[in-house]
Amino acid sequence: MSTPILELKDCEVHFPVYGGILRHKVATVKAVDGVSLDIHEGETLGLVGESGSGKTTVGRAVINLLRATSPDVHLGGQILYRTREGRQIDLNGLSRREMRPLRAEIQMVFQDPFSSLNPRMTVEQIVSGPIKLHMDLDRNARRNRVHELLEKVGLQSSYASRYPHEFSGGQRQRIGLARALSTNPRIVIADEPVSALDVSVQAQVVNLMEDLQDEFGLTYLFIAHDIGIVYHVSDRIAVMYLGNVVEFGTAEEVFRTSKHPYTRALLSAVPEPDPDGKRPDRIVLEGDIPTPLAKPSGCGFRTRCPIARPECAAARPNFETFSDSHFAACPYTETLNEKGTPHVEPRV
Amino acid sequence: MTQNKPLLEVRNLHTEFHVEKRIAKAVGGVSFDLNAGEVLGIVGESGSGKSVTSLSILRLIPDPPGKITEGEILYGGRDLLKLSYEQMREIRGREIAMIFQEPMTSLNPVFTIEKQVTEPVLLHEKLNRKDAIERAVEVLSAVGIPDARRRLKDYPHQFSGGMRQRVMIAMALICRPAILIADEPTTALDVTIQAQILELMQKLQGEREGSSILLITHDLSVIAEMCDRVIVMYGGLIQEIGTIRDLFGNPLHPYTRGLLASIPREENKGKKLYAIPGNVPSIFDFPSGCKFCSRCEHVQDRCREEAPELRELAKGHLVRCHFAEELS
Amino acid sequence: MIPTFLGITLLVFTITRFVPGGPIDRLMMEMSMSGSGEAGGGGGSAESSVDLPPGALDSLKEHYHLDKPMIHAYFLWLGDLLTLDLGKSFKYNIPVLELITKRFPVSMYFGLIGFALAYSVCVPLGVAKAIRHGSHFDFGSSFLVFLGYSIPGWALGLLLLLLFGAELEWFPLGGFRSSSWEQLSFFGRIGDQIEHTFLPVIAYAAGSFASLTILMKNSLMENLGQDYIRTAFAKGVPSRRVIFSHALRNSLIPICTGLGHAIGIVMAGSYLIEKVFNIDGIGYLGFTSIMDRDYAVVMGILVINTGLILLGNILSDVLYVLVDPRIRFS
Ligand SMILES: Nc1ncnc2c1ncn2[C@@H]1O[C@H](COP(=O)(O)OP(=O)(O)O)[C@@H](O)[C@H]1O
Ligand SMILES: Nc1ncnc2c1ncn2[C@@H]1O[C@H](COP(=O)(O)OP(=O)(O)O)[C@@H](O)[C@H]1O
Ligand SMILES: [Mg+2]
Ligand SMILES: [Mg+2]
Repeated sequence: MSTPILELKDCEVHFPVYGGILRHKVATVKAVDGVSLDIHEGETLGLVGESGSGKTTVGRAVINLLRATSPDVHLGGQILYRTREGRQIDLNGLSRREMRPLRAEIQMVFQDPFSSLNPRMTVEQIVSGPIKLHMDLDRNARRNRVHELLEKVGLQSSYASRYPHEFSGGQRQRIGLARALSTNPRIVIADEPVSALDVSVQAQVVNLMEDLQDEFGLTYLFIAHDIGIVYHVSDRIAVMYLGNVVEFGTAEEVFRTSKHPYTRALLSAVPEPDPDGKRPDRIVLEGDIPTPLAKPSGCGFRTRCPIARPECAAARPNFETFSDSHFAACPYTETLNEKGTPHVEPRV
Repeated sequence: MTQNKPLLEVRNLHTEFHVEKRIAKAVGGVSFDLNAGEVLGIVGESGSGKSVTSLSILRLIPDPPGKITEGEILYGGRDLLKLSYEQMREIRGREIAMIFQEPMTSLNPVFTIEKQVTEPVLLHEKLNRKDAIERAVEVLSAVGIPDARRRLKDYPHQFSGGMRQRVMIAMALICRPAILIADEPTTALDVTIQAQILELMQKLQGEREGSSILLITHDLSVIAEMCDRVIVMYGGLIQEIGTIRDLFGNPLHPYTRGLLASIPREENKGKKLYAIPGNVPSIFDFPSGCKFCSRCEHVQDRCREEAPELRELAKGHLVRCHFAEELS
Repeated sequence: MIPTFLGITLLVFTITRFVPGGPIDRLMMEMSMSGSGEAGGGGGSAESSVDLPPGALDSLKEHYHLDKPMIHAYFLWLGDLLTLDLGKSFKYNIPVLELITKRFPVSMYFGLIGFALAYSVCVPLGVAKAIRHGSHFDFGSSFLVFLGYSIPGWALGLLLLLLFGAELEWFPLGGFRSSSWEQLSFFGRIGDQIEHTFLPVIAYAAGSFASLTILMKNSLMENLGQDYIRTAFAKGVPSRRVIFSHALRNSLIPICTGLGHAIGIVMAGSYLIEKVFNIDGIGYLGFTSIMDRDYAVVMGILVINTGLILLGNILSDVLYVLVDPRIRFS
C-alpha cells in the first residue's frame, strides 16, 4: 500500500487542569492518549465513539488548532502528513507560521451549523476568507470562485450576499463545506457534520459530501457519534473510547465482525427502524463513560465491560490482529460470545 | 389494545404564536386519542409542532407569545382547556407528568435532588416529609439510581446526563400519573445511555398498569423500539397515524416514506441515500394546500390548491394525502 | 490580590513623589511666608533661601524618607505598614491611622445604611418589574429608575438638601449630629440621628439604585425562561412558588456576589456626598488630603480602601459558595 496521506503515531493530547487558590495544575485530562491511525488518499476514515471519547480533539490535533486555544497542552507522538510532493511532515511540532501553508490542504467542517459561521459576515465573505489567506486571486477571480463553489455545494450563487441566519441548518452546512473546499484541500476533517441535522437533510449533506469526494478526490476524516451514518460513509472505521482507539478495520470488519466488546455494545445499542427488529440480545452497558480525569487503569473500558476480568486492570491491552486491516484492543474477544453476549448482527 | 374509552382525547387543537406581529400557526388542528396502556409516538422533523402539541396538553405554552386558540383536550370526562388554573395545577404532575429533552438544564441547579423529587408528592398528596422521602428513595431506586438514599442530598450537577434523566423520570412518576409525556427524552444522550433509558421506560411501562406514554422523538428507530402506535407530524398537522406495523410495513404518506427511506441502512451502503428534497420551510412559508407539497415528489396541482383531509384508509390507519391510494 | 495591592500603592507612591508641590516644597513655602521676608539674594537654591536651622530640613526629609531613592522609600513605607504604622499626617501632625479610624465609623454608618436601603428597595422592585414585565408599572418604574440613574448621588443629595433642608426645613442642613447632641434626651437623640441620616442615605442609595434594580429584573427574567422553570410548572408547582422559590433563588446568585464588592466600595465613603452633607468622613478626608498634598494620609486611605475592596471580594467568593451549590472551595 502507498504511504498514507496522514498517519498518527501514538498521538497524545493532554490538557492540564488548573485549580486551587494558586491556580496550579491539579490534574491532566488525557483527551487523546496514544492514538495511532493511518488515512490513505481518497478514502473516508470514520471515527466513532460516545461524547467525550476524544474524537474532536483528534481532529483538532490534526489541523494543529490546539495550541492556539490551550497553550499549555501536551502534544505527544507524531502526526505525519504526506505533501503533494511526497515529503512527510510532522504536523505536531509545527509553529503556526509553518502550519499556515498546510492549512489550505487540510480543512475542517464543524458540527454546529449555527455557531460555526460568523453571523455578521455574508456568505461571500465567509467562503472567500480562506481564499484570501491562501490563494493569490484578485477580487473578481475570488468572487467567481465563490459563486462556483456555492453551485458545487448545491446553493444558488445569488445567495452569496446573504447572511447565515437566512439559511436552514442543512444549507449552512453546505456553506461550511464550500468554505472548506475553497482552497482545494486534500483532506477534509468533518467533525459531526450531520449530527445537528434532521434525517432527511442529513441524507442530502452526506450525498453531497460523497459527490464532492468523487469530484475532487478528497480524503475525509469523518467524525460522528452515530455508527449508522459512519458505516454508511466510511471505507474504514476507528472506534474510540476514552481517548484510545479500541477497534480499527474496514467498515465491514468493524460492523459485521466486531471484536471489541465496546464496539459490540455500541452497535447493539442503536435502535432498529423496524418494529420486528427488537433484539433480545442487546448489550445494555451499565453506568456512564468515566471522565478522562479519572481514567481506569489498564483497559479504559473495563468498568463497563460485560466480559471484564481482574487482569484487565493491570495493563492497557495491545492490539490483537484479526486480518491485515482489522485490529481490536481486547485479548478476551473470544469469550464475548460465551458470556451471553452473542455476536450481534449489525443494525443501522 | 383496550377497546375502552381513550385515556386522553385531543380534538382539533390549534396553537399559535405571535412573532413580530405575525401569527405562527405551530399546531393547526390536531386530533388524536391516547389509549390506556399504550405507548403513542409522535415523530417528525424539527419544527413540525411535536413539542407544542405536547406542551399544549399540559397548558404549558408560554403566553405570551403563545395561545391555544381552539380545540378540546378531554381527560377523565373534563376538557383540560376549560379548567381553572388551580384545577389544571392539580392535573399537572399528578395525573399527567412530563419529562424533557435537556436533562442538563431541566433540573433546578440550586435545589437538592430530595427537594425536587419530593416536591410533587408534597404538593399533590400532602404527604409528610418523612413519607415523601421514603417514596423518593423508592422511586429513585426503581429508576436505577444506585445508593439512592445517600444521593438525596446531592445537587443535579453531581449527576451525569443519563442519571439526571433518570431523576427526571423518577420525579415525573412519583405521583403515579396516568400519562407520561416524554419530549425527546433521549435526544441529548449518547446511544449507550439512550439504550439504558429506553429500557428503563419500557420496564416501568410494564409495571404501570393502564397508564400510557406519549413519546415524542425525531428518531423513527426509537419509535419502532418503543411504541404501539405512531403519529407522523409535518407543518403542525398530523400527516399519518397508525400502528407501528402499519407505518413501517405500509407507509401511506410520501413524507413518511421519505423519512423511512432517508435512514441509512446496511443494505444501502455504497449507494446514495434517499433524501427528501428541499428543507423544512420556515413556519411562515408553508404552502397553502398540502403542507408537504413543496417537497413532495408526487405533487400535483390539486395538492397546491386543496388541503387534504386526514382520511382513514384502513382501520386505525389514517393519512392526509389526496393520492395515498394511487401511490401505495 | 497582593500583586494588585502592591501595584496600586507603588503607583500612587510614585505619583506623590513626582507631582510638584510635594510635602517639603509646601512646608518650606509655608515657612517662608510666615517667617522672615529676607530674600536670600540670587543664586541660592530653595533650601538656602529659607531660614531653617541647619539640619532641620534634613531631619524632616529623613523623617519622611524623602532623602532616599524612591524605591527604597517605598519599601520603608511598606515595612512600616506591616507594623500598622501609616506615618503621620503633615497637616494635622497626628498618626494617620488615628485620623482614619476616627472618621471610619461615620462613613460606614451612612454607607451601610444606604447600601441596605438600596438592596431592600431594589430587590423587591426588580422582582416586581420582572413579574409584570411590559406592564404600565414596569414602564413607569423604569422611567423613574433611569431618571435616578442620570442624576449622580451627590447632585440628588444637593437637590434634596435644598428642597427639604433649606426650603421646607424638614431636615437639618447636614452634619452627623446636631451640636446640641449632648443635651438631648435619649429619644431626642434617636430623632436627631434619624433626621441627619435620612437625606444622605437616599443620596448614597441612589448611586447603585438603577443598576441594581435592572440587574435583579434581568436576572429573574432570565431564570424564568429556563428549562427547570418549565419542569416546575409541569410538576404542578403553584406559580407563586415557581417564581419565589425556584426562580428567585437562582436569580439572587449574581446579586449576592455583587454584595461583597459593593460593601467594599460603600464603606470607603464618598467624597462628594460627604462634602454636600458636611459629613466629616473618610471620603472627605481623602479629598482634602489630596488637595493638601498630605501624602501620608492619601497613602493611608488608599491602603484602607484597597483592603476593604479585597475584603469585599473575599466576601463575594464566600457568598458565591453559600448560594451556588455548583461552586466549591477547592
Ligand atoms: N481545551 C480543553 N481543555 C480541557 N479539556 C478538554 C479540552 N478539549 C476537550 N477536553 C476534554 O477532552 C475530552 C475529549 O473531548 P472531545 O475530543 O471533545 O470528545 P468528543 O469529540 O469525542 O466528544 C473530554 O473529556 C473533554 O472534556
Ligand atoms: N415560544 C415560541 N415562540 C414562538 N414560536 C414558537 C415557540 N415555540 C414554538 N414555536 C414555533 O412552533 C413551531 C413548532 O415548534 P415545536 O413544536 O417546538 O417543533 P418540534 O416538532 O421540533 O418539537 C416552530 O416552527 C416554532 O417556530
Ligand atoms: Mg466532539
Ligand atoms: Mg421539540
